Amino acid sequence: MLRPAHRKISLILIALSIFYLYLSFQLPSFTNTVIDASTMPKALGVGLIILSLILFFSPDKETKEDKEKRIIPKEDLRKIIGVVFMILAYIFLLERLGFLLVSFLFIFFCSLFLGYTKHGVNLIVSILFPLVLYSAFTMLLGISLPSGIIPF
Amino acid sequence: MGSLEGILSGVQLAFSIEGILFVFLGVLAGTLIGMMPGLGPISAIAIMIPLTYNMDPTVALVLMAGVYYGAVFGGSTSSILLNAPGISGTVATSFDGYPMAQRGEAGKALAVAAISSFVGGTVSVVLLMLFAPALSSVAVVFGPPEYFALMVLGLTAISSLSDGSTVKALISAVLGIMAVTIGIDSQTGTTRFTFNNPNLLEGIDFLVVALGLFALSEVCALIINRSQTSKDRKSLGSLKLSKSELKDMSGPVGRQSILGFILGVLPGAGATIASFIGYITEKKLAKKPKEFGKGAVRGVAAPETANNAATSGAFVPLLSLGIPGSGTTAVLLGALLVLDIQPGPLLMGEQPQLFWGVIVSMYVGNLFLLILNLPLIPYIAKILAIPRPLLISLVIMFSMIGVYSISFNTFDLYLLLIFGIIGYLMRLFKFPPAPFILAFILGGMMEESFRQAMTMSNNDLSVFINKPIALGMLIAAFLSFVVPIWQGYYRKKKHAA
Repeated sequence: MLRPAHRKISLILIALSIFYLYLSFQLPSFTNTVIDASTMPKALGVGLIILSLILFFSPDKETKEDKEKRIIPKEDLRKIIGVVFMILAYIFLLERLGFLLVSFLFIFFCSLFLGYTKHGVNLIVSILFPLVLYSAFTMLLGISLPSGIIPF
Repeated sequence: MGSLEGILSGVQLAFSIEGILFVFLGVLAGTLIGMMPGLGPISAIAIMIPLTYNMDPTVALVLMAGVYYGAVFGGSTSSILLNAPGISGTVATSFDGYPMAQRGEAGKALAVAAISSFVGGTVSVVLLMLFAPALSSVAVVFGPPEYFALMVLGLTAISSLSDGSTVKALISAVLGIMAVTIGIDSQTGTTRFTFNNPNLLEGIDFLVVALGLFALSEVCALIINRSQTSKDRKSLGSLKLSKSELKDMSGPVGRQSILGFILGVLPGAGATIASFIGYITEKKLAKKPKEFGKGAVRGVAAPETANNAATSGAFVPLLSLGIPGSGTTAVLLGALLVLDIQPGPLLMGEQPQLFWGVIVSMYVGNLFLLILNLPLIPYIAKILAIPRPLLISLVIMFSMIGVYSISFNTFDLYLLLIFGIIGYLMRLFKFPPAPFILAFILGGMMEESFRQAMTMSNNDLSVFINKPIALGMLIAAFLSFVVPIWQGYYRKKKHAA
């Protein structure tokens, strides 16, 4: 019964709307306002439950081809997860090491990880691009990016 | 109608050095980003937003509008050369554009696309000049009930018109409004759904949502296709069109300039739908419909005219009502609100230079696009040779810096990553992300106008029924999603029987 993917998604969405509704009912109420802070969230929660139910009972229109499209080859999945971890590292280190250094490392290693083999070009781009961006942001736009351990 | 003075101040701005420079930068950036397979106009605008923060609002809008129609204009290049549409609005272009390219007539296909885009874009700006002021003067009487009804209609229309399941699109829209309820409620001061996290008090910034749902998740798709290269590209061939070919495309270009514009004005439609409808109608009207799909000149001209005409059409509701009808114009509205511009019926009277400056700049922008996409296209198309791994890393880094430069808070970067993953999952399970972003932008305004309407009427819901315009829009909104859902059921029963 749960085999079509949309049924599983519908159950997840129903769980989400119940959680959202639970939080909505916890919101403090003000008697003097016409429409309370919780009015719209409650309506949204109920609306999402109704829509999820319709989704649950709607026919499975996916063709085999659609389903196959959803299967990501293991190799690609590994690459996506790898990139996600690199992004996490980028965020974690951005304010600690500074924009220039972290961006250089990110562009170089992320391109390398995704299979780019021209190391020379990679090195030049990963140095130049952050430098140009850094100067554009600080000089033209007046936005200062974290300089980190590089003292300028 | 707009005053002559207003139009003249717009002309003055559009032809100032600043105006010309920024419209050029906008269309250039739009063309380049739109050309990248996978990166659409929403990503293009979202990526450019951080650069406009300290700019003069008028110039910023000229720039971002240029990015928008530039991306639609440039999206055709990768459709024709790689059969990998840069944006969904140019998918229909690949039907005949790619067969032409395989025949060695890539140059011709690009020329047809550029000329059709130019005519469609320019004709529709003329229509925009006529219709936007007219709609503004009608919309001046709109009160909160009408605005609320209009926003509901916009959301249901985009849901029923997006490809795939209407239910999924509506779910996407509801989730979008839910996401915007996070933070302090402006009316009551109550904090909602923040889980006591101080970073969430001010809500989620729309740029985080736009870049996450679009740019980052589009990058995920690029990772999977990272090995796809442009090596199999053939030489462009001649860019020249014969007289008979020009004559052949004149019919579709003329019709689709107007049809595309109308579809662009309507809530929910936009470039993608206009291009498909344009393609289908021209195929039906053609004397030799069998040539369509095999490299017909008309098959390239029709969708390319329609999608560019629709792009200008989409500015009508955005500028004159302040209500975007599509995901892309929603992101534009978000950018405008950051710059303290509130588009709406009063914009034309209060800020004529901005209103007309943007419109007039579109003529200039389309002219630049013609130059970029016709004589210069062999050079510009080289950008398609950028290796995917490098492109992916650069887009990711640029998105993150874009978000960081508005909040200086790494918490927003984690949120960006989360929205990127949500966006990718939505694509995987065919939940369209455009209704989400439109709902996210409209959600706050919807709640506010609903409250105003209820305050006006002393808590009486009949305020939506007593106003004929509001009632009409709500009925249209109701029908726009009930009919497709009901049809889906009916078809299923028929199948079972």
